[in-house]
Amino acid sequence: METTEIIIRENGTLTRRVIRERDLDAEQSVLDALTEGVTRIIRNVLSLPEWGLVHANVGHHDTIWSVVIDRIPLHARFRLINNVLVPAFASASDLEMPLVWRAPQEVRLAFVVRTAVENDCVKVDGNWLFACDQDNRGYRLPLPNLHDDCLICTGNFDDRYDSGGECVTASLEQFRKSKWNADLMRTVERSQKFFRFQPTNETFETLPIEAADWTTLCDKVSTDIMERVVL
Amino acid sequence: MKNITVKYGVDSITKQVEDDFTFGDLQESDVFKAALGFGDHTKALVEGIEQDRSTVIPAGATVRLETAANTKA
Repeated sequence: METTEIIIRENGTLTRRVIRERDLDAEQSVLDALTEGVTRIIRNVLSLPEWGLVHANVGHHDTIWSVVIDRIPLHARFRLINNVLVPAFASASDLEMPLVWRAPQEVRLAFVVRTAVENDCVKVDGNWLFACDQDNRGYRLPLPNLHDDCLICTGNFDDRYDSGGECVTASLEQFRKSKWNADLMRTVERSQKFFRFQPTNETFETLPIEAADWTTLCDKVSTDIMERVVL
Repeated sequence: MKNITVKYGVDSITKQVEDDFTFGDLQESDVFKAALGFGDHTKALVEGIEQDRSTVIPAGATVRLETAANTKA
């Protein structure tokens, strides 16, 4: 389309202005470029038996899945100290048991899976474990097998599936059955104040964390993944 | 002196620092560490771009610190 305007200027000069308009067939590519860093939160995407609700943060290149969990399977070696069972991750002689640590209400746990589409399948790009306080600050738990940025050292497992849901399920299954060893271990003292169990006749009951403020036993974290966690 | 704003997670602080204060100075600053709770392994970003430790922080800049990933020994 072409529009012609004749402009009469204050000094009496006449100016002819021609405006040509043409629709560019580039809407989607421009939109994609402008929204490359934009992500969308979708709550309650999945409900997984035994684990609970899964939320998603969908980006242009990947999806961050947040599973709000209330427990951590601790398949590790344990030692009885003053009638309290505590982890001894580096031990080779203490009893190995698959205990389950139940998180108190003030510790909000997020198991996180990043997936990306690759060659017509969905690939697991990493698993993270964050502990969050009531104000959504993220913390690294005093656990081995966790990198500084809360990336879990999962060990190898099949990481390619037909759907994101299958990736999340497989990641949780790997999390459930993996043993915690002393890889990436710092000090076991914090772990032993955090993860405590009381042996009873039939089972092992999770004891309260041995600190007035649980965050003092953890390291505060801030990462691009943590920013996209949905609780 | 100049003002800079530093964010770490949901927390942030605005503080006056020396004119030649660098990103490395910030990452090693006990004052900022105590205020924001970050540790020894961080990376500094401005507008999502990771900054070199030796670069002087521009006046009025907002710096986002993130926990840097470590690797297995």
